[in-house]
Amino acid sequence: MRQGLRRTIRGAALLPLTGLLLAGAGTAVADDGGQQEAGTSFRTATVIAQDETATAMASTGDYLYWTFPAGAGQTATAEATVTLPDAAARSGPVTWQLDVYDGLRRRQACTEGQQTVTAAETTASIDLSCTLRPVKPWSEPWADDPLPGAYYLRLTVVELPERDLGLGVSAQVSVTATESGGARASGGELSEPLIPAARAGSIVDLEADPDAEEDGDDTATGVQPVAVAEPESGWMGSWWTDRWVWTAAGGVLGAIAGVAGYVLIRPRQRES
Amino acid sequence: MIIRKWSVALSGLLTVLMAGAFAPGALADGAVTEGEPPPPRVELVLDVSGSMSERDMAGGQSRIAAAQQAFNEVLDAMPEEVHLGIRTLGAGNPGDDKVAGCLDSDQLYPVGPVDRLEAKTAVATLRPTTGFTPIGLALREADKDLGDDPGTRRIVLITDGEDSCGQPDPCVVARELAAKGTHLVVDTLGLTLDDAVRQQLSCIAEATGGTYTAVQDADQLADRIGQLVRRADVPVENPAAVEGATQCADAPLLGAGVYIDRAEFGEPRWYRVPVRPGQELRASVSVAADRAMDPDHGVLLRAVSEEGQELTRGTGAGHGRTDVMSTGLRYPLPEPEEGDTSASVPVCLEVSNSFSVPEGQPRTPGLPVELAVDVVAGPDNPSDVAAFGLARGWVPLVLLTVVGLVAGVLWGLLVRMGIALGRAH
Repeated sequence: MRQGLRRTIRGAALLPLTGLLLAGAGTAVADDGGQQEAGTSFRTATVIAQDETATAMASTGDYLYWTFPAGAGQTATAEATVTLPDAAARSGPVTWQLDVYDGLRRRQACTEGQQTVTAAETTASIDLSCTLRPVKPWSEPWADDPLPGAYYLRLTVVELPERDLGLGVSAQVSVTATESGGARASGGELSEPLIPAARAGSIVDLEADPDAEEDGDDTATGVQPVAVAEPESGWMGSWWTDRWVWTAAGGVLGAIAGVAGYVLIRPRQRES
Repeated sequence: MIIRKWSVALSGLLTVLMAGAFAPGALADGAVTEGEPPPPRVELVLDVSGSMSERDMAGGQSRIAAAQQAFNEVLDAMPEEVHLGIRTLGAGNPGDDKVAGCLDSDQLYPVGPVDRLEAKTAVATLRPTTGFTPIGLALREADKDLGDDPGTRRIVLITDGEDSCGQPDPCVVARELAAKGTHLVVDTLGLTLDDAVRQQLSCIAEATGGTYTAVQDADQLADRIGQLVRRADVPVENPAAVEGATQCADAPLLGAGVYIDRAEFGEPRWYRVPVRPGQELRASVSVAADRAMDPDHGVLLRAVSEEGQELTRGTGAGHGRTDVMSTGLRYPLPEPEEGDTSASVPVCLEVSNSFSVPEGQPRTPGLPVELAVDVVAGPDNPSDVAAFGLARGWVPLVLLTVVGLVAGVLWGLLVRMGIALGRAH
């Protein structure tokens, strides 16, 4: 229950604030239509929102990066369509791959979808997709479960005839998320979503600056994060799950059964 | 325990609120003292050697005309804040004098705020020459043109021929420039589909984290150069350079933020991060493959206590073509026991990789390593893996019903027994 209270209080107090901060940080992102450029590394990944369709022109061999948010209780699916160069210019089959990494750059497993697709020399376009495991609000530090925060998409060609390197392609990606429901509702929560730091670091000199140690909280909040917007359902999901209904229904049924059992066995009034 | 947790939560909340209240001011102050961020700088390096007069672009256009058309379009559409320069490669008419020809690379338009008219006039004067193609030299010169200021630095190299001077090898030069830690990215565009050109240009691009494009017509050329110029304008802060140590005790102490380093083959790099009990350390690392590599590779990031105990680790492994191998870890330091001081404890981070290069490939400089470190408040560990320990499904429902029924029956029996006993008395 303490957890629940804390969650509600944090939710009420912090959400508007984070929203404000993120809105401030996100001004560089165009808000009209989908993004039309892809990043080329984790640090330069283009920020996209859930349900947004982003496009990019690129060369075969480029590594294309996007980053999107996912909150606890969501199951995210990334889809990509690659329009390949003219068949006349190509010299053999190519294999494309869509990889998903979490905010700590750990590769995430795909539970469904074709993540690697080989296209024959004449195929005009290919579709790739990857469905992640449901995002948990907390996990043990030794696990690599999907956690709330930013996720990276990396789209690239992994096998190709050398001669086809550098030919123009276009790509389209989108991310959708479904709620994974009460069956997956789990306990605990991270203090902050896994959103990678974007600012250059600085060396700490504990001997020269003993106060540096006291600034621990500043380092926790002072680093400018990547401007990934919070999903509508919140980073940590909601305190509400259908487990409340199940448990309450169990209580009600138990009470009814208790009364019924008593009525069945209790002494008859006539007998007394 | 509960009270203490509450106070921690409240103080955390306060800190966040205060940070929220003061952050904009602090940021603005920072901007004032640091001045304007350095402008993104891009230099276009264009080959003007004799072969550029070949008319094999779409519509029978010559390569140089296609490049001129593309440059004009790019100049029209480029963002104001980007500082652009243009350098030629193989300028002059040295005839057969290879020594002189291999030193020919002119700055056509200096890197700075662009006067569109002036730049276009300069572009219009471009004519194919009989020059050589000293790509390596041009890259070095272009790197100098871009200056040493922090901020984005990009070279866009447009050529139709491989380096015809031999020394210095442009790919080696590119790797050298990248290893200087000045955040230089070289994107290459090839105007022919020749194998040797493609290999050389893709090697240069790979060495600096850039891209290689095979250009077939003027429109594609303009689109691509425009895209690369815009890419320079993406506001991304360059990571801080750091040098990891060979053992934990000597390792640099890192605050939160992003760092770059170079890791020699077969040599782990150590870093330290001060973390206070109750805080969570988050670290991610990516090791870039900036040259031809053997197909199997991996990266390992370990968090180790000062006493040498492994706390947790992250691993990444892969096979085949890749730009980076990455992994990450998070480790919440246990909350201090009652009465313990909450002084920060350095946690050691060890980065190692299992990249290897095929025979004959250079092993120096080392591979680029990017390390992102963050320290946040620790997680709220659940006492139960289910949300709030709540039940779900038919089994608990049936169980609760049966337990209720049994309890009701027992209660009824007890009441009966009580009445029976009362009667007996």
